[in-house]
Amino acid sequence: MEIKETAMAGTLESSDIQIMLSAGTNGYEFELESDVAKQFGDQIKATITNVLEAYDIQNAKISVVDKGALDLVIKARALTAVQRALGIVDTPNWEVM
Amino acid sequence: MDTICDLYLSDKHTQHTWQAFLEQRGITNFNAQEVSTIDQTIGLYNADNQLVGTGSIANNIIKFVAVCDRDAETKGARFNQVISELTNRLGAQGIFHQFVFTKPAYIDSFKYVGFQLLGATEQGAILEKGMPNIKDYLAQIPKFPAAKKVAGIVMNANPFTNGHRFLVAEAAKQNDVVYVFVVNADVSLFSTAERLQLVIEGTRDLPNVVVVNGQDYLVSFVSFPAYFIKDNDAIIRYQTELDASIFKQQIAPALGITARYLGSEPLSHTTALYNASLERILAPDIAVKILPRLTNGPQVISASYVRQLIKTGNLSDLDGLIPPTTVTFIHNNLLTLQSRISKGQNINGN
Repeated sequence: MEIKETAMAGTLESSDIQIMLSAGTNGYEFELESDVAKQFGDQIKATITNVLEAYDIQNAKISVVDKGALDLVIKARALTAVQRALGIVDTPNWEVM
Repeated sequence: MDTICDLYLSDKHTQHTWQAFLEQRGITNFNAQEVSTIDQTIGLYNADNQLVGTGSIANNIIKFVAVCDRDAETKGARFNQVISELTNRLGAQGIFHQFVFTKPAYIDSFKYVGFQLLGATEQGAILEKGMPNIKDYLAQIPKFPAAKKVAGIVMNANPFTNGHRFLVAEAAKQNDVVYVFVVNADVSLFSTAERLQLVIEGTRDLPNVVVVNGQDYLVSFVSFPAYFIKDNDAIIRYQTELDASIFKQQIAPALGITARYLGSEPLSHTTALYNASLERILAPDIAVKILPRLTNGPQVISASYVRQLIKTGNLSDLDGLIPPTTVTFIHNNLLTLQSRISKGQNINGN
């Protein structure tokens, strides 16, 4: 799947995460801002990567501002961002969820 | 728990409260120019219904942000909540590339919420968030790592004259590569696409010249609005220094630019101030070379005079002022250009 439009989900408040997705050409290109990037950066990226792969997205630029979100929050925000970016908000992919 | 509400500044009482709140926190510039461009303003209220935070958006710019951390649950939480709401509101409008101007002291606060620094001076800083960002912009510009001397020129070229041509040709003689950045703003008589096309055509015979769009990063509505809208000298100085700092801190290092060429500016006050700021900020790391303006008889060649001739239709007087490529374009599009002027397009500014 190709990303149609830039999309964003989440907030910058404590325990949340803001994920912005836009079209890319070179696999997954992450930009991560997080106080715990050292400890959990790889895991945050892995959670988002799983969601992107589940939707069969090959290329994306992913800009992430993490404020200490738990894994399930990261997943939920990633799902929303993907659905918005693919323009399928009204037809969620239940298999992925 | 704090709640977010819309603030409607058209209401006198609301505006008064809002302005007093900002003034207490050191924001004092409320000139009409700054305030009238605001699209939306939000207020953050605490449980006692007191204003504890605010922020505004104007096109793709976040401005007039202030928060009060007294009685807050955690330090910084209100700031994050305000910025979060503003970025989401911009996102809802499809604006994912966002800018903020702030004081140097707050650079870190904005970095924590995902902004990246573009340029900073003693008075101010400009940061951006979202995509496509400066990295994407710089990535798509051709680079010449083997070149020893690389120069940059920024021009609006409204339209491209023999004066512009002279500046580019001189720089091309003295350097291995010359980047010509064309201002990206559709507020001039000639559109961005037309100006870009005329610069490309007018420099086609110079093999070491690369013409690129300046996007939001060089003399744009974001970095330097006073170029397009008259403003006072202090504001022009603030904006031009920031514009110069983006060039120095982002663009020049990425492209290996070591010199910036300018035409001397006897006519436009704003451009003269811009030139002074460039010298102040860029030197000594980047050489600033000011070439005397090309003259045609006693008069310096200026695009503004060319626009006057287009308005009156005295095309024979254009001889010697503009290169053949621009002549052809004006002849072919005279009626379109004149109708833009008669519809109110200002031709006296830049």
